[in-house]
Amino acid sequence: MSDRLLADWRQHALTLESEVNKVVVGQSNPVRLITIAIFARGHVLLEGDVGVGKTTLLRAFTRGIGGGYQRIEGTIDLMPNDLVYHTYLGEDGKPHVSAGPLLMSGENLSVFFFNEINRARPQVHSLLLRVMAERTLSAFNKEHVFPHMIVFADRNQVEKEETFEIPSAARDRFMMEIPIVVPNDDAIMQGLMFDTKFHNVDALVDTLRADILQFDQLNSFSSVIQNSVEASPTLQKYALNLWKATRQPLEYGVKVSNVDMNRLVLAGASPRGMSMMLRAARVNAWLNERTAVTPEDIHAVFHETVAHRLVFSPVYEMRRTEIAREMLTSIINVVAAP
Amino acid sequence: MTLSIGLLSGHVYALETDFLPDVKDGVVSINIKEPERDVGYTVGDILTRNITITIKKPYVLVEESLPIVGYERRYKGQLIGIDLAKLDYSKESAKEANTHHISLSYQVFTNNVVAKPAALPGEYLRLLDTSSKDRKVYRYRIPSWNFSISPISVFGQVKVESDMSGYRGPLLLDASPLKVRLNVLLTVLAIALVALLYMLGKHTWLPRMGGPFAKAYRSIAKSTHNAEGLQQAVNRLHDALNTSAGYSLFSNNLSAFLLKKPAFQHIQAELAQFFDLSRQVFFEPNPNKSLGEQEWAWLAQFCKQCRDCERGLIPDSVSTSRKAA
Repeated sequence: MSDRLLADWRQHALTLESEVNKVVVGQSNPVRLITIAIFARGHVLLEGDVGVGKTTLLRAFTRGIGGGYQRIEGTIDLMPNDLVYHTYLGEDGKPHVSAGPLLMSGENLSVFFFNEINRARPQVHSLLLRVMAERTLSAFNKEHVFPHMIVFADRNQVEKEETFEIPSAARDRFMMEIPIVVPNDDAIMQGLMFDTKFHNVDALVDTLRADILQFDQLNSFSSVIQNSVEASPTLQKYALNLWKATRQPLEYGVKVSNVDMNRLVLAGASPRGMSMMLRAARVNAWLNERTAVTPEDIHAVFHETVAHRLVFSPVYEMRRTEIAREMLTSIINVVAAP
Repeated sequence: MTLSIGLLSGHVYALETDFLPDVKDGVVSINIKEPERDVGYTVGDILTRNITITIKKPYVLVEESLPIVGYERRYKGQLIGIDLAKLDYSKESAKEANTHHISLSYQVFTNNVVAKPAALPGEYLRLLDTSSKDRKVYRYRIPSWNFSISPISVFGQVKVESDMSGYRGPLLLDASPLKVRLNVLLTVLAIALVALLYMLGKHTWLPRMGGPFAKAYRSIAKSTHNAEGLQQAVNRLHDALNTSAGYSLFSNNLSAFLLKKPAFQHIQAELAQFFDLSRQVFFEPNPNKSLGEQEWAWLAQFCKQCRDCERGLIPDSVSTSRKAA
C-alpha cells in the first residue's frame, strides 16, 4: 500500500514539476529543489536578481499545490503588525481591522512569499522566525495555526544599501537557499523576450493545471516519505563526515583558494541544518525511485541546504556565495563514501 | 779507470792537507746551519749545510780548497756513500775580514736494513797568510755532522738487495683489502640507488606498475567470498578510483573523471555498473550481498580492466559478462 502511495505521489510530483517547467522555463534545477522542499516541508530562501521569475515560480507552484498564497514586500518601514493585520477607515467612517497577509488565508495558507526579506527590520525577522519554526501566531487573543504553510523569501545579495542582513539564526530556519539565475540558453532567453505568453504573468500561471497536489495532505505524506526511504549505516557515516568537515574543514584537508582556512569558519552546519539536509535527500531519493538515500541524493541538495548556514569570519562575508560554493565542493571531493 | 783516478786525486788531496799546520785560534770564526733533523734520511735524500766563515786578514781563503762536487768520500778506504751534490759559494769582503758563505748539499747514496749512523764529512780549507814573506799556508777544518740513515723498509719484510731487478716495477702495497671494501661499498651503493628509484617510483619497479588498481586487484584476489569480503572488495575499488581521480568519485561526477582520464572511457559502462553494485552493497536496505562466483569474477575482471586503463592499455569489454552472470 505504501509503495503504491509513494508511486502515485511521485507521479503527481513529477507532473507538478513538468507543469511548472512549462511556465517557468530554464529553471529545471530550482524547480526540482522547490519540489523537494515542498515534500520535505521546508522553507526556502530564494536568491537572485530582480525580474528572473521568482514570483512567477512561486505562483506556479502555489497553483499546482493549491491552498492560499500570500505575499508581502520587505521594506525598511515594515513592522511586524503589518504581517498580521491592517487598519482602515470604512465607508461607515469607523475604523476597521482586517487580517494581514499571514492571517488572510487562515489555515489554508500554503505559500507565504516574503519578497526582499533583507529590506525588513529585525523585528519583522523575529516574528517570521516564530511563524516559520512553530507555524503558529498569536493575534487577536487567539492562536492561529498555519499547518500547511511554507515560507519562501527572497533576497538580493548584490544590493546592500538600506538592508538588514538576515541573522544566522534566521537563515538556519530555511531548509534551502536556492539561487535563481537567468538561463544561459540563447533559445530560452530569446523566448523570454519575444514569446508573448511570458508577458502576462497572470494568464501564464492560469495555464498551469490547478491543484495537482493536495496541499493539506502534504504534511502526512511527507512523513510517509521520511519513514519509507532508508539511510544505511554507510550513508549515515558519510553524512556525519560531511557535517564534521563543515565544522573543521582543515582536518579533512578542505581548501578554498585565497582563503585562510584557519580563520574562515566560525560555525559549521547546525544539527537542524543537517537534519533538513537528510530530509531533502530522502525526498530526492524518492523522486528518483529509490528506497534508500545515496551519496548522490545528498549531493543534489548539499549546497542548497548547507551553504547558507555556514558562518564565516566577517572578512570573508562579502565573498560568501563564492567561498561557500568552493568550500562545499571541496568537502564533497575530499570526503569519501564508502 | 774513473774510479782509479778519483782514488788517486783523493789521496793527493789528503796528503796536501795532512801536512799543513792548523791556523791559529781566533783567525777563523764559523757559523753552521745544519739540516733540521738528524734522522729519517734514506738513499737519495739531500742534506744541505749552510756555512758562514769569517776569516780575519791578512789570512785569505784559498778558493781552490773548497770541496769538489761529485768527489767520492772514503773512510778507511771504504766509500762512505755520501757525496757532495751541489756547492754554492759567495764572498763578502770587509776591512778587517772576509766572510764566505758556503752551501754544501750532500746526497745520500747508501742504505742499510737497519738504521745506520753516518756523518756529513768534515772539510779542510786552506788559508794563506799574505803577511808572511814565504806565503805560508794553513788549514782549517769544518767539523763533520752526525746523523742516521734509515732503512727504506722494515727489516725482514723486503730484501731490497735481493730484489733489485730493473725489470721489476716498483714495490706496491697490497690493495686487495681495499678492493674488497670498495666492491662491498659499490654493492651497497647500487642497492641504495635501486631502493631510491623504487621509492621515487612510488614503490613500483616500472613506471606504470603498482598503481592503485594493481594494488586493489591483488587485494581483491585475496578477499574472502562472503558479504564482508564483498564490502571490502568494493571499498578497495572505491579507494583506487578516488586515488586515481584525485577526489572522491561518485556516479554523478563520473563524466569529469572520464574527461580527466580518457583511458577509462573504454570501460564507461562497467564503471556505471560498478557504482550500481556499490549502491546495492552499501546503501540499499536489503541488498543481495551474497553474490555468486561469476559476479566475484566480474568484480576481479573489472578491477583488472581498470588496471589496464591505468597502464594505458585498452581493456577487453566485459560488460556482457556480468549481465550474463
